[in-house]
Amino acid sequence: MFTLNVNGVKREVDVAGDTPLLYVLRNDLELTGPQFGCGLAQCGACSVLVAGKETRSCITAVSDVGDQEITTLEGLGDRWAKQKQLSAEEAKDMLHPVQQAWIEQQTPQCGFCQNGMMIKATELLESNPHPTVVQIKEAFTTSGISPNLCRCGTYTAIIEAVQHASELMAKRG
Amino acid sequence: METTKTNSVDVFGATLTRRDFVKTTGVLAVGVSMVGAAPLRGDTPKETVAKNSLNPTVSTSWLEIHPDNTVTIRTGKNDFGQGSVYTAYRQIVAEELSMPFDAITTVVTGTTNDTPDGGGSFGFLNGGSPNLRKVAAYTYQALLDLGAKKLGVDRSKLKAKDGVLSGGGKSISYGDLIKGQQLNLTIPVKGELTSIGGLEVDGNPPMKPVSEYTVIGKSYPSSAIHAKVSVKANWATDVRLPGMLHARVVHPKTLGSTLVKAGEVDKTKYPHSQVVVKGNLVGVVAPTEWEAIQAAQQVAASTHWTDWKGLPGSDKLYDYLRNEADWKSTPVTKGATKGDTAAALASAKKSLKATYQMSYMKHAPIGPTMAVGDVHANGMVHIHTHNQNPQELRGEIAKMLGTTIDKVVVHIYPGPGHYGRSNGGNAGAEDEAVILSQALGKPVRVQWMRADDMQWSTQSPVAYSDVELALDDQGKLAAYQIDHYMPAMQDDRLVGAVLAGLPTQAAPNPQGDDVANTANGISDPWLYTESPYVAEIGHGTFQVGQKASPIAVGLRDHSMRTPGQFQQNYPREMAMNEAAALAGKDAIQFRIDNLKEERAIGVLEKVRDASGWDTRPSPRPDAKNAGAEMVRGRGASLMLRDDTYWACACQIAVTPSTGVIKVEKLTFAVDPGVVINPHQLKRQIEGGAMMGVSIALLEEVPIDESGVLVEDWTSYPILTMADIPEINIEIISNPKVGKYGAGSEAANALAAPAIAAALHDATGKMVRRLPLKPAYVLDTLKA
Repeated sequence: MFTLNVNGVKREVDVAGDTPLLYVLRNDLELTGPQFGCGLAQCGACSVLVAGKETRSCITAVSDVGDQEITTLEGLGDRWAKQKQLSAEEAKDMLHPVQQAWIEQQTPQCGFCQNGMMIKATELLESNPHPTVVQIKEAFTTSGISPNLCRCGTYTAIIEAVQHASELMAKRG
Repeated sequence: METTKTNSVDVFGATLTRRDFVKTTGVLAVGVSMVGAAPLRGDTPKETVAKNSLNPTVSTSWLEIHPDNTVTIRTGKNDFGQGSVYTAYRQIVAEELSMPFDAITTVVTGTTNDTPDGGGSFGFLNGGSPNLRKVAAYTYQALLDLGAKKLGVDRSKLKAKDGVLSGGGKSISYGDLIKGQQLNLTIPVKGELTSIGGLEVDGNPPMKPVSEYTVIGKSYPSSAIHAKVSVKANWATDVRLPGMLHARVVHPKTLGSTLVKAGEVDKTKYPHSQVVVKGNLVGVVAPTEWEAIQAAQQVAASTHWTDWKGLPGSDKLYDYLRNEADWKSTPVTKGATKGDTAAALASAKKSLKATYQMSYMKHAPIGPTMAVGDVHANGMVHIHTHNQNPQELRGEIAKMLGTTIDKVVVHIYPGPGHYGRSNGGNAGAEDEAVILSQALGKPVRVQWMRADDMQWSTQSPVAYSDVELALDDQGKLAAYQIDHYMPAMQDDRLVGAVLAGLPTQAAPNPQGDDVANTANGISDPWLYTESPYVAEIGHGTFQVGQKASPIAVGLRDHSMRTPGQFQQNYPREMAMNEAAALAGKDAIQFRIDNLKEERAIGVLEKVRDASGWDTRPSPRPDAKNAGAEMVRGRGASLMLRDDTYWACACQIAVTPSTGVIKVEKLTFAVDPGVVINPHQLKRQIEGGAMMGVSIALLEEVPIDESGVLVEDWTSYPILTMADIPEINIEIISNPKVGKYGAGSEAANALAAPAIAAALHDATGKMVRRLPLKPAYVLDTLKA
């Protein structure tokens, strides 16, 4: 039995300790933001934030997570609300500015990789609120265990969405 | 409810039936009627479509107008990310009905029993008349009839705006027109529901003139994106049924191996797991996903297969294709044919001959194929998946099980892009899920792992083309012959059925019907019409290794983005760049000099201006094919696809000593005629263009004598964000064309010949094979 701290809530799961976090999130906790892309930490479709750091849930054993704070795509809105100390009413159904930017820029094509892209963007903007294009490219290519891959080729749209999210966060900050 | 009155009227070949009901909110529902008999594809089953789920009344209809003036539309084509059903289709329907975009509130796609027409997810604009456009046009005519009667005004005096009919000083909304009535409009269709193209709406209802468009041409957002970003989308990967088991398939050791003995589950480690064997199909199931994955790995390690070495391997592949493959059993196809080209080439003073080679490529969806199969005791079969042709899948599953299509329901959800891989109904996991579910009497979720998806899916076929061309004294194209060689590219067999020894359609062969044959049709429209002599010839053959494989698998091929046309346009545009260099002319100007079509010239001129093109012959005067100093070059390409003209210019930097190419800038000029949604089109082009760079620089499928050697993203790398070029897209709105050409496809095809031309410009060397990997580039630079 493991107690996970997911999206601000303590959740108990009865699974083997070597179970990758991805399957626990999707199958036991019904958090379906992260997707199975490769199971090899080569693509980023399964990414979540663990203690604020983009982490590939497909190779992260549930026993290794401990009580670290896990944020999935479902929890990004609350994460932003908490950071901005918004009231419960203000925070209700709120999307993170990154998600808002992804919609306004019409970034996804098939969208299967975009969970990881939004998680990576959140990680980046929390540490660097106004990244340059070069810094954005570095973040999505070399900062993690592997590049975040998009087969539909939405990289240009992702860069524009990160820049837009940066503006939205500055305005709402 | 009680019928009080019924009558029927003819509306441009459609039939409007009115039933007034007591106590109903009312609806105008548009259904179908078949034109003649519509047999299903294949041998079994032999049911006609009309007897199955297509009840031409309400639930399976195309379009419904509701009393609140909102509209539901239904299409068998489901979205793979380009968003056309959520943007362009809504705009087209809104336009033909003269309603606002937001009035089209509901889009139902894909699921076999909820949609009317089937057909693969490709060619969404279908030559400018997608089914829903005609459906909406018929519906508008029916509304005019209803309005004329209701208002007592001649229909020619009625005008529609924002869902309201006005004329003779009176007006009524569509919603009020239909309130309290059950109206059914039955429209004519033809074709085969479960074929690759599905049903097509027949007849020619009057369409709205382009000059009156108010909704088409605006950048409405896709309603699908919000759901995906906010985790409200219900992905195929999310489907969980009560009692469902998780499965992994242990695929054969090679593409020709038969099963000697399946391994057994180590019950001490995996107590809830079970092996299911049917023929050469080995599945491992467990109640939890992680146990299924681990147990499958353990079972795979102790499963014995025969060896097979029936493929030529990468090193000998082109020799095999040229010298050993059977190109004689399949009749050649002919494209543009003008004059005695052979004689003209024989007498030419200035000519060139070249061969261009293209590799096997993977569609490589970012999520491996998966499906949930649920075979009920009463014989009903439910499949939950993400697929480009649910009706064809349904027909194939019915055939596999020896049942009829009314017993098979394919439920469709969003999922990763397939880029053509499942447009004939099979992505890989669906039939395996059904076979395992039938064996176990429980719902089974089959998820392929990354290696399964790289090694057991179909691929885009290898190809090569021989070109011979001649120039006249003015340096214009005097004669041109191209011979395209490509194995069959549409193997829609269910691979699980093949492995299990169950019925499925025949592998592509010279006698195959529809698309399941070995013919290499000419799909790249000839553009350089100034040339007095032209011969385009397509040569087809069997898939490599398929006939030799004891399990009839081998290297299965499937259409992938701009299928066939990519394999024909790349060599043609390579040849045009070489011809321009031979003529000592600028590559864009050379093309223009050989073109008549104004739209083709228009996109070339636009791309020349927008890219800052430096007009001069290639290679550049200071071209270098050696040294560690980076050299730059620029190249161009041209294509006509589905009524849209495309031109591309690119700038690259290459380091001759390493052969590493950096694509720095891509410029596209695109003339689709009428532009439906500029922002969505731009996003589609950007995506396709990046895939095009990926294909040009990186993508090939190495093989050995037994199978495919790629298994993950390290062995099959694709473009990363760090390597994307700057991109500039010029969309040319050309309303006088009067129709809308297709959008996203083709963008992926233009980069390769433009990049290769830029490499030639920079180095003076033409690399005549794809991909432009450093090792291959170096082979040519050093030669």
